[in-house]
Amino acid sequence: MAALSVARRLVKSYFCVKCVEKNVQVHLQTTTRLLCVSASRYSSVDAPKAQFTDTEVQDILSKITGLDLKKVFRPLRQQLTPPKYKLMTDTELEEAVHKAEEQAKHLLKMPPVLSERKPMNDVLAEDQMLEGMDTAKYVFTDINFNVPHRERFIVVREPSGTLRKASWNERDRIIQVYFPKEGRKVTPPAIFKEENLRGVFEQDRHEDVLNQCVVQFEPDSAEFKNVLMLTYEDIEKHGKYDLLRSTRFFGGLAWHLANGHRIDGLLVDMLQRDLMQDAVMLVRLFHLVHPQSESAQHAQRQQATDLDLLKIYAQYESNRAGFIELAVQNYEQTKVLSSV
Amino acid sequence: MVHLSSFLLKTYHGGHVVIRLALGGVTNRPFYRIVAAYNKRARDGKYIEQLGSYDPLPNIHNEKLVAFNYERIKYWIGCGAHTTNPVAKLLGLAGFFPLHPMTITEAERSRRAASTEVKTDSQDLVEQ
Repeated sequence: MAALSVARRLVKSYFCVKCVEKNVQVHLQTTTRLLCVSASRYSSVDAPKAQFTDTEVQDILSKITGLDLKKVFRPLRQQLTPPKYKLMTDTELEEAVHKAEEQAKHLLKMPPVLSERKPMNDVLAEDQMLEGMDTAKYVFTDINFNVPHRERFIVVREPSGTLRKASWNERDRIIQVYFPKEGRKVTPPAIFKEENLRGVFEQDRHEDVLNQCVVQFEPDSAEFKNVLMLTYEDIEKHGKYDLLRSTRFFGGLAWHLANGHRIDGLLVDMLQRDLMQDAVMLVRLFHLVHPQSESAQHAQRQQATDLDLLKIYAQYESNRAGFIELAVQNYEQTKVLSSV
Repeated sequence: MVHLSSFLLKTYHGGHVVIRLALGGVTNRPFYRIVAAYNKRARDGKYIEQLGSYDPLPNIHNEKLVAFNYERIKYWIGCGAHTTNPVAKLLGLAGFFPLHPMTITEAERSRRAASTEVKTDSQDLVEQ
């Protein structure tokens, strides 16, 4: 029940309307603080896996995502209005940039990673005497505004007479019929089928597909996770990490790769772009997710920081050890030269 | 309680509130709204509150969609509203009311009709 309420709060906080944001953000902060407390109590007993919602993990993920304002605020397809020019002092300009950064952070809020929802098929009543009353099913919905969608009563009376709760797909479809959400279609569009996704990936439009997917599906549904997984796999296969950098899906990508022991490609990409801090944080994330791995244990024994972490990871876990060590050496040399 | 005298119709004595189906839609395409109205009003006329809808034609997934606002239905029944037979049958199928006896009777009749059809078909085949 606690997990359900937390998941509900996470989903609420993600799909919130602007005016309700502040309250919901306070809610989210309190839930993450609660989770943090329980995690620290656990880690003294044994070392469990870190969850997506831990503050430390979220910190790392948001730092790796980066904050390229030009990409976040790039022109979207909007109505054309003539640009507004303002005359500002230096302090006003700093304030404006600060505000823009905060808005960018809001735009970069990561879609939640929840465990897949279990199929539910509770039978409320079995009435064999009703068999043959009709050839069609009856779907009864409760259209009360005060009830959250997760707790709404949607029941189906089959022609055989059984009264059962509606399955998750039926629920999504029927809630969209009676409480339509902007951008969502009643039946999922054909773009989410695998053959069509392949064409979209060739055009490098991963972000658009992911935005559509977030609007269309619930975050704990199987289709949502499937589309995310396919997108991440394609990005990993072709090494197109930069497409998602500075968008809100980068954290999810890093989490997916870290869980699958496959952060080598991303590490190499970061080192090629000289993002040393990001690379270090990625390795730290990996250690948080897999505390039983060799490199994590070595790192904890030696209490390593920064570049030593990279070296330990390269030594024990990585397939591209040579490249990582070379990159670390180059970085150290350039640092020494620049300080001299 | 609903005090009828304080509402519009001062000459409306002995009437009561009804929860019934108001027909809408077009030719060959009915659509019902489940509505709380005074019983002397026209079927599709001014109602007090809409409590739901019922689409009698099944959709692509072979479903007939019915919507109920259970909170408000409870309120109106608490105020002494009556329900008509179709509404009572639908609420019985939904599990909100107990099953209507006519639903069971109709189900039995259709089953009997289906079995006699099968018997006559098999008799025809035997004769042939």
